[in-house]
Amino acid sequence: MAAKTPKRIGRYKILGELGRGAMGVVYKAEDPALDRVVALKTISLAEAEGRKDYEKRFLLEAKAAGKLTHPNIVTIFEFGEEDDLAYMAMELLQGTELRERMRASALPASEAVDIALQVAEGLAFAHEHGIVHRDVKPGNIMLLERGPVKIMDFGIARMRHADHKTSAGMVLGTPRYMSPEQISGQPVDQRSDIFSLGVVLHEMLTGGSLFAGRNVDQIAHNVTYIEHAPPSRSNPGVPQMLDFVVARALKKDPAVRYQDAYEMCADLRDALAEMKGRAPARGADETERTQTLKMEAGAKGAPLAPAASQIVADTRLPLSRQFDSSAALERLERPWRNDRKRLAHAPRPVGLLRRIWRDRLPRRLFAVAVVAGCLGALAAFA
Amino acid sequence: MASTPASVFATVVFLRIPEFARRSATEQARLRAQLESALAVAIADVREASRIVLDAADGIVLAVLGDPRSALRVTERALAAVAAGLPLGAGITHGAVRPAGEDRGGLLGDGIAVAAGISALAGSSKILLTKEFRDALADAAPGAEASLVRAGTHTDASLRSHQLYHSDPRAARARGRRYALAGVLLFLGLLGAGVGYRVSLEGAKSFAERVTATLRAGAQGIAQRLGR
Repeated sequence: MAAKTPKRIGRYKILGELGRGAMGVVYKAEDPALDRVVALKTISLAEAEGRKDYEKRFLLEAKAAGKLTHPNIVTIFEFGEEDDLAYMAMELLQGTELRERMRASALPASEAVDIALQVAEGLAFAHEHGIVHRDVKPGNIMLLERGPVKIMDFGIARMRHADHKTSAGMVLGTPRYMSPEQISGQPVDQRSDIFSLGVVLHEMLTGGSLFAGRNVDQIAHNVTYIEHAPPSRSNPGVPQMLDFVVARALKKDPAVRYQDAYEMCADLRDALAEMKGRAPARGADETERTQTLKMEAGAKGAPLAPAASQIVADTRLPLSRQFDSSAALERLERPWRNDRKRLAHAPRPVGLLRRIWRDRLPRRLFAVAVVAGCLGALAAFA
Repeated sequence: MASTPASVFATVVFLRIPEFARRSATEQARLRAQLESALAVAIADVREASRIVLDAADGIVLAVLGDPRSALRVTERALAAVAAGLPLGAGITHGAVRPAGEDRGGLLGDGIAVAAGISALAGSSKILLTKEFRDALADAAPGAEASLVRAGTHTDASLRSHQLYHSDPRAARARGRRYALAGVLLFLGLLGAGVGYRVSLEGAKSFAERVTATLRAGAQGIAQRLGR
């Protein structure tokens, strides 16, 4: 049910619709005062239910994003309210969403790293100002035709010190790109954005969907418990160093993740420097939408996998790509004649006879005892 | 009909780079490459059909089938080869493993969990081994376990206690000395017992005269042969 496009919102003249998001419509508009074309993001406040929340969230977004002036963050010009609409005028970006870019063609590894680096720089700046994005995903990253990468939609960004849940018990973000602590409703900080960026980087490098699932519960389980495969496993063109960058960004435990985005930037810069001239990686596609997850009031978030259960429950390790283990695996499939006896049983205790037979020192001692015994007998009875 | 191979007992070596997750990606890549090079050299004389190499997030896991001695040798070589510049600790156990998944793209099992757990305790350039490995080593090569000495106990994430050992070549040398001393004492004891018995029958003087006469006759016989 498409609503009629207004002709004017505030002082802005509406030129057309750019898109519809989870919470509102984005228009292309003209600011007659400055003769500037802008993107005007609106949120309808018409529905009485949740109006205060929406309004509050919108204003938070506007205030938070308005403080950020950085080449990798979309610039906010103004925000306000008119009738049942809250609106925010922002820089109109000419470019392609990363989501589209991933859908259209494969991303070379160097390009993927360059994008991730720019996003990390923007996030680092935002984090420095106490703002966590909370919804880093390909749909919120714009690749400009000429110029830098821009992070868009601090729509759910909130001040770091604010409570992580709304009064209705909602957690905001896109499940597939959420960090384990975010999806389980625990407090989040800048490390949550780093996790999300890790997911984006992984998907840019592999062309796959990292934490896909049929429903939010399944995605939540995957995000919380499933360890990712290194990107170079599905795309051999990815340098091993990027496996480490991704692995660190995707640590389930925030304490061992990159602690700030600058740290990740440093590693991405090193990776980029090392990677000049490498083969391209594959591209990706998956639908993604910002979702609001209802958390039961008072429910505790699912705990992050503790080390004990991780070790006990999942001991699977992949084969190394540097060493060929096929012969030994073949041996496990079709054991040699003696293997059933040798490999299928726990070690036996070593008895005295076997010890004398197989152990050099007891064998020598035994020989000494025999010789000395013979000589002693000779002395005694000869 | 492809059946799932049952678990087997293998020696599992977890070569872990300490504090790996906290290092920069550049350093991680360098250390990883160094570790792989060191392991490639160290496993050169282990038959391909006896070893499976696995990737771990912070190191490499080696599963050796039916040859715990080689596993220990490889580990010692790997640690020696990387002593210059590569911090590395190792945990070794002997436990159950089996191929993982339909594609046999990996390995899983309790052996891996235990090796991972104790490798975390091993400091740089240290090897920690479990009693299970010691028993396997003793079974495969009795006496080789003599170089392993107790290094305390460790309770793992599953609340199982593991008696730990570390490798110390001095322990094997000390054992050699103990056996040499025991050999000398045994020799003297048995010979002395025979002599004592004879002395108790003949009396000391008579025995001494007979021994002296025997030795003298023997010496004369030798002298005559030399003179001829």
